[in-house]
This record gives sequence, C-alpha cells and structure tokens, in this order.
Amino acid sequence: MSDAYVVGRVDELPEGRHMVVQVRGREIGVFNVGGRYYALPNACFHQNGPLCRGATSGTLLSSAETHWKPVWACEGEIVICPWHALEFNVTTGQCLAYPNRRLPTWEVKVDGDQLVVLM
Amino acid sequence: MQSSTLTSPTYKKAGMTIIDADVHAHDMPAALAPYTEMPWRKTLEHLATVPERYLDVPGYAPSLAPWPTFPNSGGNRRNIVTSAAQMRQDLDDLGIDIAVIFPDYLLKHAAIRQDDYAVAVAQAYNRWLVQEWLTEDNGLKGVLIAPHHSPEAAAAEIRRYAAHPHIAGVYLPTCCVEPLYGHHRYDVLYAAAQEAGLPVMLHSVTAVYPTFPFNLEGYETLFGVHILAHPLALVANLVSMMETGVPERFPELKIAFTEGGVAWVPWMMMRMDKEYAERRREVPILKDRPSKYIRRMFFATQPVEEPEHLGDMATLLSLFGGEDSVVFASDWPHHDFDHPSKVLQIPVSEAVQRKLMCDNALRLFGHKISLKAPGLLAPAR
Repeated sequence: MSDAYVVGRVDELPEGRHMVVQVRGREIGVFNVGGRYYALPNACFHQNGPLCRGATSGTLLSSAETHWKPVWACEGEIVICPWHALEFNVTTGQCLAYPNRRLPTWEVKVDGDQLVVLM
Repeated sequence: MQSSTLTSPTYKKAGMTIIDADVHAHDMPAALAPYTEMPWRKTLEHLATVPERYLDVPGYAPSLAPWPTFPNSGGNRRNIVTSAAQMRQDLDDLGIDIAVIFPDYLLKHAAIRQDDYAVAVAQAYNRWLVQEWLTEDNGLKGVLIAPHHSPEAAAAEIRRYAAHPHIAGVYLPTCCVEPLYGHHRYDVLYAAAQEAGLPVMLHSVTAVYPTFPFNLEGYETLFGVHILAHPLALVANLVSMMETGVPERFPELKIAFTEGGVAWVPWMMMRMDKEYAERRREVPILKDRPSKYIRRMFFATQPVEEPEHLGDMATLLSLFGGEDSVVFASDWPHHDFDHPSKVLQIPVSEAVQRKLMCDNALRLFGHKISLKAPGLLAPAR
C-alpha cells in the first residue's frame, strides 16, 4: 500500500519542466511531460549521478522501419544524466543504453492544486 | 625439415575432430597468372619474373619493411604450401581434419591501389582456389577474397561461388583497408554474404602502410610492428562495423576475426560498452551494448596467447564467452603457426575443448563444413 506525499503545487510544474523534491528522505524527480506527470529516483544506476538534475529532450532512434536512418523521437520524454549522459525515458524509467535496466517509477496524481506522489 | 617430422597426431583425443579456421595457400603470381583476365595477366606474368621474397612482391603484396633482417631469423623449416596435396599431407601430420584456406601474398590484397587490377586479382585467386585446391572432398575448404575496392564485384563473387561445396566463407582483407569495414559501401557485400549463409572473416597481416593502424612506420623492429598491426587492424574494423550497426543491420551475418589472438576481445567489449553508455545517441542503430553483439561473433585462436600460467587462458575465455565463440586456427605454415596441442593444453573441460577445436567452427561455417566427409572422424557422442 503506497502513501501519498504532497510534493508541490501544480502551477510550479508547467509542461516540459521537472523538479527534484525530497520524499521520505530520498530525492526524486517529478516531471511534466505533455501534461502527464511522472516521478523517478534522482539517482542514476550507472555511477549514482543526480539524474533528475539533468536536462530533458528527445533522442535519436534508428531501426529497419526508419531504413536505419536516425530519427528524432520521444521529444520531452528523455532525461539525460548530467554526469555521463546516460538517457532514461521518463515515462517508463527505461535506460536507453541498457535494455535490462529500468529505474523504478512512481505514480503522480493531481489533487486540487497539489501534486501528490504515491510511494 | 620435412613436414612428416613436424609432429605426430597422437596427442589427439579419440574421436576429437579438429577444424582449423586458418591455413595458407601460396598464391605466387605465376600460379595465378593463367587464371587472370587481360590485361592484368600481363602484370602477373611480369611479376613472376621478380625474384620471390617471403610475402613481399611489389605491385602485388608490398611489404615495405624498413628494418634489418638476418638469416634464419624465422627458423629454417618450409613456410609455404604450394599444392592441395602438400596441404593435405601437412594437415595430416598436424592432426588436423578440416582446414579453411586463406591466401599468402594476398593477405595484403587491400594494399593494392588500383581498383580494376585489385578486382581482377581477387577473381583470379578465387578461380585458382576453386580449381586447384578445392577439387576433392578431403577436408580442404576455402574462403573467397572479397575485393574491398569494389563491394559490388565482391558481392558478385560471393553469389558466383555461394553454392560451391568447399567455399566456406568470405575473406575480408583487413590490413590497409580503406575505408574501414563499417562503411556503408560494404552493405552490398554483407547482404550477399548473409544471403549466401557464408561468414565474413576479417584476417590481419603485418604491413607498414599509411592506413590504420597508423604510425607503424615509426617502429624500429618487426617485433614492434607485429605486436600492433594484427590486433589493431581487427580492432579498428570491429569498431567501424559497430558504429554503423553492421551486426544489427545484418543479424544473420556471421562475423569472424582471425590472426589477432583473443586477448583483445574482452578489452574491446568493456571499452566499447563504456563509450556506449555515454554516446548511445551517436549509434542509435545498436539496440544493446556492443558486448552483446560481440558475443555473437567468432574469434580464431592464432596467434594464441601463451601466458606463464596457461590457466589464465581459461579465465580469459570466460571473460567474453569465448568457450562458445573461439575457434581453433593454426595459421599453418606461417612463422607464427600454432600447433593444435598448444590450444589443447589450455586447462578447460573436454567439452569446452571440443567446442574450441570443432563445434564452434561447425556453427561458424554452418552447412559448409560437415563431419560426414569420407575419412573424417565421427564427432564424439
């Protein structure tokens, strides 16, 4: 059973922005991607860098469907660790370079004008 | 020294078939000339009048070796094989059942700098190989020279010989190749090899030439050059193939690396993975860390590393899954050939020995090498 933690006001986190907050003694990043909210730990598994202090953007993907040409994709969904540039998809916690590594994610709800993380 | 005194095959364990991924046929210009189209036949006929030096013919296999040499520095045994019968006899003496023939001089094929001539030489070699060396079902197999100078011509050669029962792979001359083998111009070559079910085999050689690996001309000795030329040529091309996603774009293509030993493999896996973590965006074709792709490639043993404690070799193999990807190669009859007994001394289980000496090669060469050929030992049950 998860508990609800108020992490800020909705108007503090407009679309395309993210912030780092303290919840239960640990730092998490809360993201607004296209009007939906996501939360990730502020710790990259690689060398424990402050992942959610990194910038968000899209990324380059390539596959047979794109005829192996790189295409810009996932705009706004990718956070890039400021230490070594490992990329994570905010909406899933998936590390792009390590298919077998996915960070935990937590549900974020809007309660009136408050943002609430369920942990 | 007679080949019959080389060795005795008694070291073989009963029922163990030995497949050798790399031996060399002596492709002197005089031998290839009758198989060469005009006007290039004239070139080979002319080169046949040049006194032969070991793997050094200007305009064909340039050595450009600027260091002093002394008599007998490489030993005094015969170091060329000039006929299929001689090769078969040597292999019998070495206890090798099946062997894959590469060229001698044309290890330096990529150093040739005139495309039409280079293609004609490769075509002549392939004709000569098939007609002079691969005429019997006696365990002799061969790899085609793929002229990097014209990937389209290379693809045509692959299609021409794809169904030949003794053509087991495609040789990519790996020293002096420009551009490196990841370049998209080679896609047509890889598509043809994948379609034919033939592995591509990158094979190093020592050459001082102004292409990668650079600065070899700065060394004073062959000691220095030989240490670096072989593994670095393989490393350079592996990195190139990884950066353009060859193993992702040609998932059925089998890729093998010969004549660089195997100790560099875990180094490259770790080095590439380290870079990939930071630079995935630059290589979005890759769907996983480079080491995952490298684990699907094959690596020939020769020149097998010989650490003071041979148990270190077993540890080394375990670092990169080499038990399932390393294939024995002797490099016979070259100066640095490895006798099969050396690889069999690596302290691994008999099951792993069989993988290294036979089973991994059967996977590498697929349907082109079978243990059913007459006179060959049955696989162990």
